[in-house]
Amino acid sequence: MKCYYCALEGKESEAVAVCIVCGMGLCMDHAIRKDIDVWEGGYPLPSRRVKAPLPRILCPECYAALYGKEK
Amino acid sequence: MTTSLGKRCIAEAVGTFILVFFGTGAAVVTLMLAAGTTPATPFNIGIGALGGLGDWLAIGLAFGIAIAGAIYAFGRISGCHINPAVTIALFATRRFSGRDTVAYIVVQLIGAAAASLLLAWVIGPDAVTIGGLGATTPFPGIGYLQAIVIEIIGTFLLMLVIMGVAVDERATPGFAGLMVGLAVAGIITTIGNLTGASLNPARTFGPYLGDWLLGGSNLWAFFPIYIIGPIVGALLAAFLYDYLSGE
Repeated sequence: MKCYYCALEGKESEAVAVCIVCGMGLCMDHAIRKDIDVWEGGYPLPSRRVKAPLPRILCPECYAALYGKEK
Repeated sequence: MTTSLGKRCIAEAVGTFILVFFGTGAAVVTLMLAAGTTPATPFNIGIGALGGLGDWLAIGLAFGIAIAGAIYAFGRISGCHINPAVTIALFATRRFSGRDTVAYIVVQLIGAAAASLLLAWVIGPDAVTIGGLGATTPFPGIGYLQAIVIEIIGTFLLMLVIMGVAVDERATPGFAGLMVGLAVAGIITTIGNLTGASLNPARTFGPYLGDWLLGGSNLWAFFPIYIIGPIVGALLAAFLYDYLSGE
């Protein structure tokens, strides 16, 4: 799989990741890693944050759509 | 990692405050509305004078909706036990630490006391003299031991619902607050006119303290009913559920 954004720029580079939202192939330059905390449990016990956050890969457009800002 | 114990204690205190203020507040207002009416039977102390069992359903729903709201607000933060019997049952079944159990019980009692004292202040002296701050006592014809057994049965059902809809990881998420609130409403509708349907030592502690401090009745002699009954009922339910749900 090739990087979608590089293809738009007329370049060709191998994708190293896939956006979890739209499924675009992404190279290292265009992949955005946005880790998220995961909480488990809840009533009647307090929620507990798992020790390590979950890695999550987004493309620039989905990142901007979700967080309202450019990365 | 959970939210800090301090923040969880604040959530427990506020949650218990909500339960006691709205729940016992409904009982106080019902008694004030019925003041001056002639009871149909000696079994009727005022609640039930206007709407029969509907009075108890209304009070039960006031408790239940307040509890559901508190659970949805604070369930993820503190667990929203808002009941020492629930906290002790979770400790006894090794789901909750001893240090947290002591802290939770203390702040639950503080939240309940604050709710009763504030209720007395916002309503006025009638809340104490007529409404008794919604304190629970055995009703006419209900003996001390009978009252304990009734409280055991009521809290047994409450804890069983908590175990089934919330503690069990197989439960469908999102329904716990609603179902626990409805269970409390149903229990109060049935046993309200027998023991007051406390199901919760903190819920009884607040009105007892308020009545005692503000010149109302001294009801502390009945307090063991509302300590022993709820705690035994919750323990029985928690251990039974663990036994039944095991492989």
